[in-house]
Amino acid sequence: MVASLTKRFGDLDIAEEAAAEAFATAVERWPADGVPPSPGAWLTTAANRKAIDRIRRENKRGDKQKEAQLLYDDDPPEPPGAIDDDRLRLIFTCCHPALALETRVALTLRMVAGLTVPEIARAFLVSETTMGQRITRAKAKIKAARIPYRVPSAEDLPARVSGVLAVLFLVFNEAYLATGPGTDPVRHDLTAEAIRLTRLIRALLPDDGEAAGLLALMLLTQARRAARVSPAGELVTLAEQDRGTWDAALIAEGHRLVRERLAAGVAPGRYQILAAISAVHTSAHDVRDTDWSQVVALYDLLVRLDPSPIVALNRAIAVGELDGPEVALAAVDRLEDKLAGYHAYHATRADLLRRLGRSQQARAAYDKAIELAGNTAETAYLTRRRDQLA
Amino acid sequence: MQYLVSVIDDTDGLATEDEMTAIHAFNTRLQAEGHWVFAGGLAAPSAATVIDNRGEEAMFTDGPFVESKEHLAGLYIWEAADLDVALKLAVEGSKACNRKLEVRPFLSL
Repeated sequence: MVASLTKRFGDLDIAEEAAAEAFATAVERWPADGVPPSPGAWLTTAANRKAIDRIRRENKRGDKQKEAQLLYDDDPPEPPGAIDDDRLRLIFTCCHPALALETRVALTLRMVAGLTVPEIARAFLVSETTMGQRITRAKAKIKAARIPYRVPSAEDLPARVSGVLAVLFLVFNEAYLATGPGTDPVRHDLTAEAIRLTRLIRALLPDDGEAAGLLALMLLTQARRAARVSPAGELVTLAEQDRGTWDAALIAEGHRLVRERLAAGVAPGRYQILAAISAVHTSAHDVRDTDWSQVVALYDLLVRLDPSPIVALNRAIAVGELDGPEVALAAVDRLEDKLAGYHAYHATRADLLRRLGRSQQARAAYDKAIELAGNTAETAYLTRRRDQLA
Repeated sequence: MQYLVSVIDDTDGLATEDEMTAIHAFNTRLQAEGHWVFAGGLAAPSAATVIDNRGEEAMFTDGPFVESKEHLAGLYIWEAADLDVALKLAVEGSKACNRKLEVRPFLSL
């Protein structure tokens, strides 16, 4: 609804506010007047009226022609080739290169995926105030500099897509390990939305390796969703998941995409490597059949493209399966400066210390991980692990 | 929609002959396509004078209001439908002028 209002009125603030006002009116009126026969259409009409009212208030001089245009909404049809999808348009606006990368991600999470400012602040490890200001400034720039609301032309598209993929990857990750005590541990609405948008980008650019890679990665991750949280609401690690519940169709589609990229013979980017790692895991019917040396080799490739501490942490976990927990712990401990505020760093240390029988240190690491983790299922898992320590 | 386009320089030199040719071609195109509103090159920052008459008496200060490694060497005002159009022109303009450009929207009322 925000996306279609933005398309019509060309202003994110007006769109957001009008949608909120329409919902508020509905909450007020429906219990007394009864729910209208078509609630969705009712809300859209109400929001459109609110937006027009606001524009009228702000435009006292009354640009009549503009008003008439808004009322009749007779936009000329899009040129052929443009994908008729308001959300896609909104994504390209939010991911505009004139905005800083982290601003693009934050804005997309807020405007397209509908996350709250506190949720986004958590995902970025910054304060809510900082995040709130970042989003407000970005919206002000879009308006003041007139960043257009449209899918870029074919010649500009490839250059604009990598920024969009980075954003969709982060949306999917946030959905798959949702933060906040009030949200479901896995937000299926958001994972589905991230996959849907990535499919659109892939349809737009079928030869883009990273678009295919990201889609494969999402599908292979999504395939394991049923096994990821136990009936008791606890996170289940990859090693302990019931592989019989994995979605075979999604895995087959993901593997097909990975094979397609291997056959292309082009040096893979980050998402293609991550998808290949996921393909190794999903090829093993039992965790003991996992080809860990291949996983480590793929992480070595990834470290060269992306020397971030989080990639190094994941590589260390794979090394632990190959060379044992002691080697892995030494590698993990070297990341302390950069990752001390990241729950997965402490959870990884806790698990390695537990396997080494160093219970007291493991307990301290679990405490720290529980303190920092925002996902309810992960907190439940870590708490059980801690309480099982000797 | 109008944009102020600042030409940013970090050298003292004027544009070379080759640069002048490229700038001229770029300017001709701006005019032909209806983007041109105004353009002008500026003398060195050391030729500037800052005036402050907010107090009792007007103060004159020799030199630019801010000393920096980079300075404004010239400016354009462009008419463009949106930022994408302005940025596309700026990508070509930066190459033609062989300088960095800053694109900044005018407040629209």
